[in-house]
Amino acid sequence: MPFPNVRLANRPLHFIYLCDCSGSMAAQGKMQALNQAIRQSLPGMAEVARQNPEARVLVRAVSFADRASWHIAQPTPVEQLQWVDLQAGGVTAMGEALELVAAELRSPPMEERALPPVLVLISDGQPTDDFEAGLRSLLRQPWAQKAVRLAIAMGHDADLEVLQQFIGSDPGAGGGLPAGEVPGASGQAPRHRPGKSPRRPLQASNATALAQYIQWASTAVVGAASMPASRVAGATADGNIPLPDLPPTVMDPTDDVGPLVW
Amino acid sequence: MTWILPPGTSLRCEGLNAPLQVLRGLGGGTQGQVYEVELAGERLALKWYLPACIARDPRLPLRLAESIRATAPNDDFLWPIALLRPELESAALIRSREPGFGYLMDLRPPGYVGAHEHVGGHLAISLRNVLRAGFFLADAFHALHLRGLCYKDISLGNLFLEPASGRILICDNDNVDVDGQDPGSVLGTPGFMAPEVLLGQARPGANSDLFSLAVLLFRLLTRHDPLRGQLELAIRCLDEPARRKLYGEDPVFIFDPADARNRPDPIEHAAALLTWPIYPEGLKALFEQSFCRGLRQPGQRALTGQWRRALAAALDQRQLCPSCGQETFPEPGSSGTSCWNCGTALPAPLRLQLPHGQVIAAPENALHPHHFDPLLEEDLRRPLAQVEAHPSDAGVLGLRNLTGERWIAVLGSGERVPLEPGRTCNLAPVRALITPAGPIAVLHPGRP
Repeated sequence: MPFPNVRLANRPLHFIYLCDCSGSMAAQGKMQALNQAIRQSLPGMAEVARQNPEARVLVRAVSFADRASWHIAQPTPVEQLQWVDLQAGGVTAMGEALELVAAELRSPPMEERALPPVLVLISDGQPTDDFEAGLRSLLRQPWAQKAVRLAIAMGHDADLEVLQQFIGSDPGAGGGLPAGEVPGASGQAPRHRPGKSPRRPLQASNATALAQYIQWASTAVVGAASMPASRVAGATADGNIPLPDLPPTVMDPTDDVGPLVW
Repeated sequence: MTWILPPGTSLRCEGLNAPLQVLRGLGGGTQGQVYEVELAGERLALKWYLPACIARDPRLPLRLAESIRATAPNDDFLWPIALLRPELESAALIRSREPGFGYLMDLRPPGYVGAHEHVGGHLAISLRNVLRAGFFLADAFHALHLRGLCYKDISLGNLFLEPASGRILICDNDNVDVDGQDPGSVLGTPGFMAPEVLLGQARPGANSDLFSLAVLLFRLLTRHDPLRGQLELAIRCLDEPARRKLYGEDPVFIFDPADARNRPDPIEHAAALLTWPIYPEGLKALFEQSFCRGLRQPGQRALTGQWRRALAAALDQRQLCPSCGQETFPEPGSSGTSCWNCGTALPAPLRLQLPHGQVIAAPENALHPHHFDPLLEEDLRRPLAQVEAHPSDAGVLGLRNLTGERWIAVLGSGERVPLEPGRTCNLAPVRALITPAGPIAVLHPGRP
C-alpha cells in the first residue's frame, strides 16, 4: 500500500516580472531577447518549484509603456505558465507599474501567510511618469518591504539610480551613489566596489548576460526565497532572504566587446 | 544553464593518463556544476566548483583529499573518488576566470529520485520502503560517525531514494570532515540545522548531525516538519528572521508531550496528524527524545544505533490490514488495535519467533541475520528469508529461503520437509523451521 496521500503544507511564493516595453525596447532586438530569456528560463523555474515542497510558486507579469497593465494577471503555477510575447512601443510608465503591483501586494488579495515575494524589474531606460510616487505606494505595503526586489538594466541607457531605489539601499555600498560607477554630478569620485552584487542593478549588456540573470532570478533566487539553502559561515546575513551568488562570470568570446544584439 | 565546462570538451587533468571527455551537464547550483564525463571508457560524474565557492572555503581541497583517502563509509554514499585540477593547456578551455578544480564520483544510478519528490507528495512509495530508507539513512550516518567523521549539511537536497526498494544515496559529500576538527565554512541548511548551530553557538559536528538526521527521518516518515505547528501559523511572512525564531530561538516539537503550544493545525498540518499515529511507540519515543530534551541538550539526541534498532523493529511489526490492505504497525502482543486507515480491528497475526526477536508474517517482511545472533548489528542488506503471499492465492503465506543452504520445515504432524534454497514453504501447516542460522518457531494465532 502506498504512503498516505498527504504532502507538506506549503505557502505561496509570488514571483512578479515588471517588464519595460517602451519603444526603445524595440531597437536591436531587445524585446525579443527579453521574451526569449523569460521563456527559456521557465523549465528551470518549474524544476526548482518542484524541488521545494514548501513553496507554491505563482508567476505574474506587468508590462509598462504608455500605460502599465497586467500581462499575466492571474497568479499562475509556473508549470502551467505559457509566456505570451511582450510587444514594445510607447514611453516608460514605470511608476504606474509599481502602483499596480502595490495594489496586488495588499492583504487581501495577498494571502494571510506566504513566503517573501520576488519582484524583478527589467528596464532599458528612464521612467517617464511619477516613479517616486509609485515606489512610495509600493513600499507602503508590508509584503513589498518583505519582498526580494531585483533589477536588471538592459543596455547602457537604463537609469541605474532609479533601479537602485527600487531595490533599496545596497548595504555593501556604504550609502551614497547607487550602482554603475558613474561619477555623480556632485563631482564625487567613482566608488569602486568589488564585483557585482544582487543588491545592485544587474547590468545585462548583451542577450547572453540577460538570459543568465533572468535564469538566476527565476531559479536560484526562487529557491532561496522558498526553501533555505545551505549556509556558510561569514556569509552576509543582510536582508530577510540571503541572496544566492550571482551566476559565474562566464568567459564568453562575446563578453566585453560591447553590445552585440543591441 | 551556462556550462563552465562546455559539453564536448576534452580536459587533461593532473595525475590522469587519459583525457576526460565532458559529455553533458547534469545540473548546477550555487556551489558548482555537475557533469557526466567519460574517462578511459568509464562513465562518471564530475563536480566542478565555481570560483566563489572555492574562495569561501579554503579548506575544501584538503577536506576532499582526506575523504578520498578515507574512502566511503558504505555503499550509500556517492563519495569523491579523485580530486582533479586541469593541466595548464586545458585550463584555457574552462569558461571561467579561474580554472578551479573538481572531483570525480560515480553517476547516480537510474531509479533514484530526490527525497523532495517524496516529501512533496509526487511519489508512490510504501510505508515499508519509507521505513527502510530511514533505516539506511541512520545506518549510513552510523558508519560515517564511527569513522570519526561528520556530514554537517544533510537535508532533503542531498538525499536520493529508490522508491521500489527503499535504498538511498547520499550526495554532496564535500562537507564531510573529521568531527571537531578546524571549522569548515558550511553551517547547514535552515530547517535541518540544530538550534545551537543556527544561533551561532556551536559549529556543526556529529551531535548536530544527529539533530539533522532526526529532522530528515521525521520528514520522510510524516511528510511534515517537526517544528511547524500553530507557532508557524502565527507567522505571516516566512522569511529568515521568522525561520530563526521557529528553528532556533523558540523551537517547540509539534508533538511535545509537555508543551502543547505548537500542535499541528488540523487543516494546515494535516499530514503530520494523519501519519504520526501510524508509527510504533518505540520510534515516536526517539523523536520525542531528539526534539524535546534534545533540542537544547545535544547530548540527549537519539543516536544512530537507536534509530537503526527502532526502525528495524518497526519493520518487524508490520502487518497488513485484512480489510483495506494498508500497512499497519501494531505493538507486539497488543490486542484490540485497529487499522489507522480504515478502523478495522486487526486480528492477531501469524508470527515468526526467532532467537533474537519476533517478526510478523506479512508479505515482504524479512528475516535478517540479526534476528538470529544478538551480537550482530541490525542490517537489512542480506535477508535470510522473506514472507511471501502465494502468487495465485494471496491468503496463503509462505516463507522463502533466501540462503544457499537447505532448511528443514517441521510440520504440525511432526513430518519433516526439506526447503531448498530459493523455495517457499506454506507457513500454515508448519510449526518450526530448522536453519543453519538458528531455529524459527511459527506461532499460529489461536493455537497452543
